[in-house]
Amino acid sequence: MFQYIKKVLKHLKNKKTNDEDSAPQSSQLSLSLDLNSNLDTLRKIFSISSDIVIREFAFGQKPQIHAALIYVDGLVDKATINQSIIKPLMYDSRTICSEETHKENIDHIKTTLLSVGEVKQITSINKLVDGCMSGDTILLINGFDEALVMSTRAWETRGVQEPQTENVVRGPREGFSETLRINTSLLRRKIKNPDLILETMKIGNRTKTDVCIAYLNSIVNPALIDEIKRRLNRINTDAILESGYIEQFIEDAPYSIFATVANSEKPDVVAAKILEGRAAIFIDGTPFVLTVPMLFVESFQTSEDYYSRTFFSSIIRILRYVSYMITILTPGVYVAVLAYHPELIPTPLMFTLMASEEGLPFPLFLELFVMVLVFDILREAGVRLPRPVGQAVSIVGALVIGEAAVAAGIVSDFTVIVIAITAVSSFVIPAQTDSASMLRYILLILGGVMGGYGIIIGLICALVHLATLRSFGTPYLSPLAPLVRRDLKDTFIRVPIWGMATRPEDIGAQESKRQSSGLKPTPPPEEENQTRS
Amino acid sequence: MKKIMSLMICIILTFNLTGCWSYHELNDYAVVVGVGIDKAESGNVLLTAQIAKPSALAKDSKGGGSQEKAYWNITNEAETIFSTVRSYTHESPRKLYFQHNKVLIFSREVAEEGVQKYIDFFVRDNETRIITWVLVADKDKPSDILDIERGLEKVPAINIDKLVEAQQYNAETYSMKLLPFLQRLMSKTTAPVAPLIEISGEGEEQKIVISGSAVFKKGKLVGQLNKTETRGLLWVDGEVKSGIIVVECPDGEGKVDLEIMEASSTVTPEIKDGNISIKIEIKEQSNLGSQSCAENLATSEILKLGEKNASAIRNEITASVEKAQKLNADVFGFGEAVQRKYPGQWKELESKWDDIFPNIQVEIEVDAELYGTGKIGEPAHPDEE
Repeated sequence: MFQYIKKVLKHLKNKKTNDEDSAPQSSQLSLSLDLNSNLDTLRKIFSISSDIVIREFAFGQKPQIHAALIYVDGLVDKATINQSIIKPLMYDSRTICSEETHKENIDHIKTTLLSVGEVKQITSINKLVDGCMSGDTILLINGFDEALVMSTRAWETRGVQEPQTENVVRGPREGFSETLRINTSLLRRKIKNPDLILETMKIGNRTKTDVCIAYLNSIVNPALIDEIKRRLNRINTDAILESGYIEQFIEDAPYSIFATVANSEKPDVVAAKILEGRAAIFIDGTPFVLTVPMLFVESFQTSEDYYSRTFFSSIIRILRYVSYMITILTPGVYVAVLAYHPELIPTPLMFTLMASEEGLPFPLFLELFVMVLVFDILREAGVRLPRPVGQAVSIVGALVIGEAAVAAGIVSDFTVIVIAITAVSSFVIPAQTDSASMLRYILLILGGVMGGYGIIIGLICALVHLATLRSFGTPYLSPLAPLVRRDLKDTFIRVPIWGMATRPEDIGAQESKRQSSGLKPTPPPEEENQTRS
Repeated sequence: MKKIMSLMICIILTFNLTGCWSYHELNDYAVVVGVGIDKAESGNVLLTAQIAKPSALAKDSKGGGSQEKAYWNITNEAETIFSTVRSYTHESPRKLYFQHNKVLIFSREVAEEGVQKYIDFFVRDNETRIITWVLVADKDKPSDILDIERGLEKVPAINIDKLVEAQQYNAETYSMKLLPFLQRLMSKTTAPVAPLIEISGEGEEQKIVISGSAVFKKGKLVGQLNKTETRGLLWVDGEVKSGIIVVECPDGEGKVDLEIMEASSTVTPEIKDGNISIKIEIKEQSNLGSQSCAENLATSEILKLGEKNASAIRNEITASVEKAQKLNADVFGFGEAVQRKYPGQWKELESKWDDIFPNIQVEIEVDAELYGTGKIGEPAHPDEE
C-alpha cells in the first residue's frame, strides 16, 4: 500500500514540475519607434480600465514632437506630473531646446528637461507596464524606442500609527503601515547605516507584490540570506496579499502548530532582531514584517523587556513562561486530577470541589471541553465584530457563562475559574496564542481520556516535536536545546544591557561581538572624587 | 511513511499501559475519612466507615451553616475486611473511596487479638493510603469515638486527624502512621506503638482525648505507656520536636518551663563478654520558656537549669526503658540497632531476643543545653530591693 502511495506522490510531483516547465513564457515585447503603435499596444494591455490616464501632447518647436504620458490615476502625485513633467516639456522646451538636440538624444530630455528625482530608460513593455501599475509615470516620445519611466508614486496611506497589537507602556509607539516604502524608511531611521541592505523583489504573478529583504550586511550570516532568497524565488503564485502568504510558503514546518517565522508590527522590534543577526522580510500591503530565524524563546520576549530595568523585566519574563504553562495545562490537568487522581487533592479542597460538583448533570470532561470551546467562540466573536458590538458580546458572554451557567447548575464555579485563568493567561503570550490554543485542546482531550498519564504523554510529544523543529537552520529550542550557556542571559531572565556583549550564537551572526565588555556603570575612581571635593 | 506508521502504532499501544484506567466523576465517590475496626459478637469484622458530606462542609454562600451532620457513619459486618468494604455497596449509593482516609481506629478487643489480619487490606489495596494515622480505642468502641462531634471540626475523623497532628507540639504521644506501624509490625523484634484514644466526659461534655500509647508485641496489644514513658520513647527515637520540660527553680521557690527546641539521639549497642549494653546519647537544646520564681536566671544559674533539664530527660528515658523491659516489648528498636552493628552475631541473638531484652544494660547520656531566655532576660517580676 505504501509503495502505491509513494508512486502516486511521485507522479504528482512530476506533474507539478512539468506544469512549471510548460508555464507560458511571457513574450518579451519591446517598444517600437512609432508612438501610435506603442500606444495601441498599451491600450490593448490596459483595455478599458478607467483609472489609466493616457495624455497625448506635443512639445518643442517646429516640427513638434508628439509624446504621451501614461499613469494610473490615484497612484501618482498629479502636482509633480503637472509641474515637473508637462510644464517643462511644453513650455520650457520651446525656449531652451534647439530643434536638433532632443531629436537626437532622449538622454538630453532626461538630463535637461525633466525635474523628477528618479527617471529610468526602459524598452521592455512588460517592465513599463509593471512600473505604471506601481505608480510610475511613463513618457513615450515619438521616434524613440525607449520610454522614460519617472517615479511619481504617491497615494493615500494610513500613515504611521500606534500598532493595534504589541502594546507597550514604555517604548516607541510607531508601528508599520501598509506601504512598503514607509516601512523601510521607519527601519532606516532606526539603523542609519549603509550596511543595512534592503533587497527588493516582486512576488506574485498577478499582484506583483514588492517584497523586501532587510539585513545588516556585515552581521548577517550570508547562508541565511541565500536560503531566504532561494525560498522566496521558488514561490510561483498568483497573489501575495499579506505576509502570511509568504510565511506559509517559506516556513520550515508547515504542519507544525508552532510558527517558525516570527512577525512584528513595530520598527524597533524588527531593528533589534536585525541587529541580532536576523533578516526581516517586508511585504508591501501589510504592517506585519516577518523575521527569520525564529526561536521558541523569542515568543516570550517583548521589546519592553529591554527598555525597562532588568529585575522587573526578568520577573515578568518568568511570569510569561508560567502563564504559558498555565494556559496550556490548566483545563487538562484539572480534568485529569479530578477524574483520575482525586487522591492528589488536599482533603479540604476535595470537599469544596465535591460540593461544587454536586448535582451537575454533565461529565466533568464535557463541561471543561464545552467551556473552552465557548471561550474560543467568545474570543473570536470579540475580534471579528465591530468594536461597539464586540463589547456587547463580551458582556453577554461573561454574564451568561460566568453567572447564569453557574446559577442554573450546569457548570461548576470551579470550572469557570479554571477557564478564566486559562483565558487570561493565554493573552500574555500573543506570539504563541494559536499554538497554546491547539495544545490546550490536545492536552484536555489526553487528560480526559488518560488522566495524568495522558498529560505527560502530551507534554513529552510536544517537547520532542519542539526539539526537532528548525527555523532557517537554527534549532527552534535554542538556546535551551542545544544549550548555549552564553545565551541564557536573555532567555528566562534578561541581564542588563551592558551585560549582553554578544549576539545569540545559534542565529550565526558573522560578528558575534555586540559591544565591548566591562561597560557596567561604576563610580569614578577614588582620586577623582577627592579632587572634586 | 513506515516511520510514521510505526510511531502511530507505538502511541496507540502505550494507551494499554495505563494502570488506573478509571475515569470517575467526583460525585461518584463517597469519601471515607475515618475507619473504625471492631469485632462483632458473631466474631465477624465490624467496620465503621465515616463518610464526609461535602455539601454540608462547603462554605454556603447564602449564609448560615446547615444544621445537618457533616458526616455519615455506616457500620457493616462481614467475614473479612475487604468483603465488609464491598458490602457497603448495599447501603451506600456511591462507591466508598479510601484515598482520603485520615484515621484507622482499632478497638481494644481487636488490638488484643492481633491487628495483622485486619491491617493487610489497608496496605495492600491500591485505594488506601499508608499515611493514615493508626490509633487504638482505649475503652470505647471505635464507632462511638467516630460519632463525637466536638471542637472546631465538623467531621470527627478530621478532628482526630488534627488532634494527632497537634501532638508534635507536646511530644507526649507517639503519632503513628500506617507505614511505620507496618514496618514495626513486620520486624521480628521491634514492637509497634500507637496512640490510645478515648472519650472523656459525659453527655454534652464528651470529647476525644489522647491518653497514652498502646504497645504491641507480635501484633497484639500487650500494655500501654503513659505520657512520660511515651516521651522517653520519643527521646530515644529522636522524634521529639517540641515540648515543655518543667523543672524546679534553682532556689526551689518556683518552677521553670523549658521549651524543647531541638533534640537528637544516637543509640549505640555494644557487646562485651557476651553481654549486650546499649548507650543512648541525647543532645538537646532548649529555651527558657517561663519562670515563676523571682530569681534572675539569665546568669550562671542557667547552667544549673541545664543539669536539671538533663536529669529530667534521663528520668523520662529510664521510666520508659523500665516499662518496656517489664512488658518485654522492644519499642526502641534496640534489636535492629544490634543487628546493624553486629550482623554476624545477630543470628543467634535473634531467637533469644525475648530473653535478652529485659536484662539489657542501658546507659543514658544527656547533653542538655539552654541557649536562650526568650525575649526578656530578667524575670517579669517586681524588683525586690
